[in-house]
Amino acid sequence: MPPIAKHWPRFALRFLPGLYVVILFLAPLLMVLRVSFYAGGGQSGYGLGSGGFYKPGTWTITNYTTLWHDGYFHDILKFTVELGIGVSFLSVLIGYALAYFIYRMPPRLKPFGYFLVLLPKLTNILVIIYGLKLILSNAGPVNHLLMSLNWVQDPVELSNNLVGVTIGLTYLIVPYVVLVMLAAFSKLDENLIGAARGLGASALNAFWEVTWPQSLPALSLASLMALIWGLGAFMCPYLLGSPDQITLAVEVQRQTFENINWPRGAATAVSMFLALGLCTVVFFGLSRLALRQRGQLR
Amino acid sequence: MKASFGKATEANRAQVRSAVQALEAKELVKSFPGQARKAVDHVSFGLAKGTFFCLLGPSGCGKTTLLRMIGGYHGIDAGQISVMGRDLTTAPPEKRNMGMVFQNYALFPHKTARENVAFGLRMRRVTRRTALARADDMLTRMGLTDDEQGRLPRRLSGGQQQRVALARALVVEPDLLLLDEPMANLDRRLREQLRTELKSIQRRTGITAILVTHDQEEALTLADKVGVMENGRLLQLDKPEIVYRRPTNAFVASFLGDANILGIEGFTDQQMSLEGGLTLAFEGPPPAFHKGRLVLRPEDFQLGRSAEDCPTIWRGHIENTSFAGADRILDVTLGQNLRLKVKCRMDTDMALDSEGYIGLGLKRERPWILETAS
Repeated sequence: MPPIAKHWPRFALRFLPGLYVVILFLAPLLMVLRVSFYAGGGQSGYGLGSGGFYKPGTWTITNYTTLWHDGYFHDILKFTVELGIGVSFLSVLIGYALAYFIYRMPPRLKPFGYFLVLLPKLTNILVIIYGLKLILSNAGPVNHLLMSLNWVQDPVELSNNLVGVTIGLTYLIVPYVVLVMLAAFSKLDENLIGAARGLGASALNAFWEVTWPQSLPALSLASLMALIWGLGAFMCPYLLGSPDQITLAVEVQRQTFENINWPRGAATAVSMFLALGLCTVVFFGLSRLALRQRGQLR
Repeated sequence: MKASFGKATEANRAQVRSAVQALEAKELVKSFPGQARKAVDHVSFGLAKGTFFCLLGPSGCGKTTLLRMIGGYHGIDAGQISVMGRDLTTAPPEKRNMGMVFQNYALFPHKTARENVAFGLRMRRVTRRTALARADDMLTRMGLTDDEQGRLPRRLSGGQQQRVALARALVVEPDLLLLDEPMANLDRRLREQLRTELKSIQRRTGITAILVTHDQEEALTLADKVGVMENGRLLQLDKPEIVYRRPTNAFVASFLGDANILGIEGFTDQQMSLEGGLTLAFEGPPPAFHKGRLVLRPEDFQLGRSAEDCPTIWRGHIENTSFAGADRILDVTLGQNLRLKVKCRMDTDMALDSEGYIGLGLKRERPWILETAS
């Protein structure tokens, strides 16, 4: 009996995850890729319908060329990258501090800390975002507070602009950063802080010399995750942002479902994939380099 | 045989001298929430400068807690600690000028051995270059090569890591050296080797050291003074020989070495009656008590032929023999239910009598009395 037949459960087990990736990830990607090269009207399903795939005359690169020469596209790309980097930086800053704070909480209170941070994740994301819209609106509690304290005379625009988007995105990304950093902190040997203190280090010194360096690998991971999330932002820019400040993801949605220009939408999606993928890889490479220099790459 | 009775002393008293003590602990108390009994229960003692002090006791007796209290890692519920005359009761660890060696060494994993040792100096505002140079010096004296000094701790062996931990604690020239079972994770050979090194370093530098251990052999060989703890209390603090030969109670007696503890039931003329119908000859005036307990160490007995000359001879049956290098350890039963642990040299002539019994003679003049009751 050939080996495959004899050990078929083992092969099946190894084959199944691959099948999962192919069906749910690669196949759609390839389909989008095909659509992005489509020329003509939408009759043959943009190249995906029966017989339409190899139909000569339906292949073109003009979708890409017009896109990449379009200044509007450049603006969106620029904004997406800036927003992504800015939001991930802010999220990591807040998330790290929050995680450390929770880590140092007395054991009785720690579960509450965890709970408060994870609470946003227990609720539907749309509910959160619409909730934020209300809170940040001109008649909402934040403006109410600012005006009653007389810090401002007129309501401050906190929604439908960059501020709203930033607040929303940060709010959604921070819990993940906190989780990653808390996992890293909990693996630290507590004796190390004690050893540092016993050798004359103040609490601040002990943090800087002992805790901080050891948290760097986890920090790099958390930053990468935040960056990926921030670059791919869709819901917050779409719902909390102003219409003339949109990200690539929103643009894909607009082209595909509002303009019904699937080829262009697909081309935008592929371009987004490439551009943001490049950013991520560059960031990943840089952080690995930095860690290796410190000798902290395992 | 002359037998006079040593009196069981009370649990320790601080040794009062006119010079300033290296460490003075007064009535230290610590409890942990959720635990009925205290972790450290009114412990007081003093140490002269240059003493190597071993805190000995079973797991959970409070010795590590006490050590950490001295180091400043645990708060003190009540009591006082002063070092070289300075009151450090409320001082944080970084102000205490003590060197601590942890059980798992707690070396900074992201710093090299040299950087680890230099850390304490850098915290004392020594320049980086000088700190590294002094660290290099110290580590070389501990036997680490240049290459090893530049390695991260995970690339060093257990013994090397222990040396680095020790160097790191010593290089800042602290008032006290605190060691928390530092050799627990090493194999026997290495442990003995490091023990000797540790002792000679301590002698050379003249530093006052407190070592916590549950290994009584370690305590007896290393210490100038031994303190035995149980359930948060310090039961006895004295020189190792004294704690061994004159333990203050049954626990201390059986924790250090093997102890045969026998009940005293009464006295007749020149004879002490013990449990199991045994009698022990003694000389001198009759004592002031009637009942109590005494302890006999395995090496106190003479066996076989040499037992014949002893004033007290017991007859027992050998249940078990173990071979321990130069000695033989025997389990002997006397009468119905008395078991004694007896030690003799390998070459002892163990003549059994016609019924298969062995003679146990007591060569010791004074059996040590553990406790008395009227």
